Amino acid sequence: MSRKRLALAVAYAILAVIVVVYLFPFFWMISTAVKSKAELYRYPPTVIPAAPSVDAFISVLVGRRYTHLLENSLAVALAAVVGGLAVSLLITYPLTRMAVTPGFRRGLLGWILSLRFLPPIVVVIPFFDIVRKLGLYDTRMALMLLYTVFSLPFAVWMLKGFLAEIPMEIEEAAFVDGATRLRAFFQIILPQMTPALLAAGVITFSLTWSEFMFAFILTASPQSQTFSIGVASLVTQFEIIWNEMAAAGVISALVPITLLLLARRYVIMALTFGAVREKA
Amino acid sequence: MTRGIGHAPIPRCHMTTAATLRRITPYLLVGFPIVILFVLVAYPMLYNVNLSLHNTRGEFVGLHNFARVFDDPTFGAALQATAIYVVLAVGTELLLGLALALYIHRTIANATVRALVYVLLIVPMVTPPVVAGVIARLMYTPNYGIINSILRGLGLIHKDILWLSTGPTAMFSVLSVDIWQWTPFVFLVCFAGLQAVPQDVVEASKVDGAGGWNLFRLIEFPYLKSLLLLLVIFRFTDTFRVFDHVLVLTAGGPGAATEFISVYLYRVAFKFFDLGYAAAIGFYVVIVTSVLFSRLSRWLATEGVM
Repeated sequence: MSRKRLALAVAYAILAVIVVVYLFPFFWMISTAVKSKAELYRYPPTVIPAAPSVDAFISVLVGRRYTHLLENSLAVALAAVVGGLAVSLLITYPLTRMAVTPGFRRGLLGWILSLRFLPPIVVVIPFFDIVRKLGLYDTRMALMLLYTVFSLPFAVWMLKGFLAEIPMEIEEAAFVDGATRLRAFFQIILPQMTPALLAAGVITFSLTWSEFMFAFILTASPQSQTFSIGVASLVTQFEIIWNEMAAAGVISALVPITLLLLARRYVIMALTFGAVREKA
Repeated sequence: MTRGIGHAPIPRCHMTTAATLRRITPYLLVGFPIVILFVLVAYPMLYNVNLSLHNTRGEFVGLHNFARVFDDPTFGAALQATAIYVVLAVGTELLLGLALALYIHRTIANATVRALVYVLLIVPMVTPPVVAGVIARLMYTPNYGIINSILRGLGLIHKDILWLSTGPTAMFSVLSVDIWQWTPFVFLVCFAGLQAVPQDVVEASKVDGAGGWNLFRLIEFPYLKSLLLLLVIFRFTDTFRVFDHVLVLTAGGPGAATEFISVYLYRVAFKFFDLGYAAAIGFYVVIVTSVLFSRLSRWLATEGVM
């Protein structure tokens, strides 16, 4: 018995070490973000800030006008959520609840999944030229379009699973009562889908919010740059101001972390396209 | 074909058209978004072909760009760096994640602790890659960086290591970000998979004297096999395309030590503005990934994962 308890104590100790190691980088970013400029140059660096302040946050958001980039991120992410979910429903509803041949269903789902495996840099090279010729370079519109398309693979695969689980009988009962398919969809299927749509929406929002490469290549000015670009531009400038860089990082990470902790039950499921369902 | 029961009987003369209409409705519904989607994806790909046949001045050069790849040492270096990155990142993440999942699964039964671990380990995974790069920059930098301070404090080093200034240490730094972010993913997927292993089988084999390794090999591994395959595929694709945190942390440097394929392609296309050559390389990448994808998706289908 005591050997078993010792093993358990060891396991908890290992677990604690892992969690500390895993979360320390975050702690370091937050700690840096709330340091004053003077404290940044103290050597060796202090782990816990002597006099925490929010100056770095203010100078990022107000001084550098990053609020504008937040607005852009919000706009493109919301567009991707609305566009992505609408298109996903249009694709998944007929595939799961109407009669289509199995070959068609498999082929289409497979093709959509293959988009997930296409390296984005390959897509963005022709897109860059097309977008420039259409006069959409450095606009939110270009990002909205791309984000909608590339949110589809996991949105479709996630919604597909949920839609297939709603019993056919519910819808059929409505048809018997004289409801049209459209009415049955809005009054019966959609309410059943609310948690799934919320989860898919939250995850689309977070992924779009975090996206970097498309925005990096297709935007050039604060009128369309997203917050991720703002974060990166604080790194590549000549002299890095550590606390501002960290503060921008904290703001950028806060959005997806908060949202995905709320939707934590669906994160693993979304990232594995429905293959793994976590109950936690 | 149980749809539409209860509808009024359709007059005979309209039977065929109505039935046809009903049969093609789902295809029409799907067709609209798919056509748009196809245009948005297929057109850029065709455009890519067109780009790849022209040089920087827009002159037609035939397959010249496709041939250039074979005597481009920088591309070879990028390919090599990517291969090293993929193998080390995916290997470490899988081994570490699987080992931890097995260990925690076998030793800790407390549901609250398990739930807490789940929540805490989700955090690195959902951090934007750019921010992960920022964090690494904060930690590896010579003066302000905490890693050198810790190593000094432990007496392991006496002079700061310039992590991002030499090839091997820069590669290590970039790799460490990937491993930090994605080992939890492997852990959580394996952990979820282990919940599906029937406990009575495990208990029975323990009674029969199966030790830790045999328990894994004979009982648990069969349940995890398809998930591990899935993880290899996902991690392989993601590490192959690695870009965001590299750009923030090393920007491909020092020299070209961490210039992976995506970073190299970015430089060719948007620093040298050689879109034709970049498109040609991109074309090769698409071919390789599609062949891989078709193989792997068939594999996944036979394993019954997707």
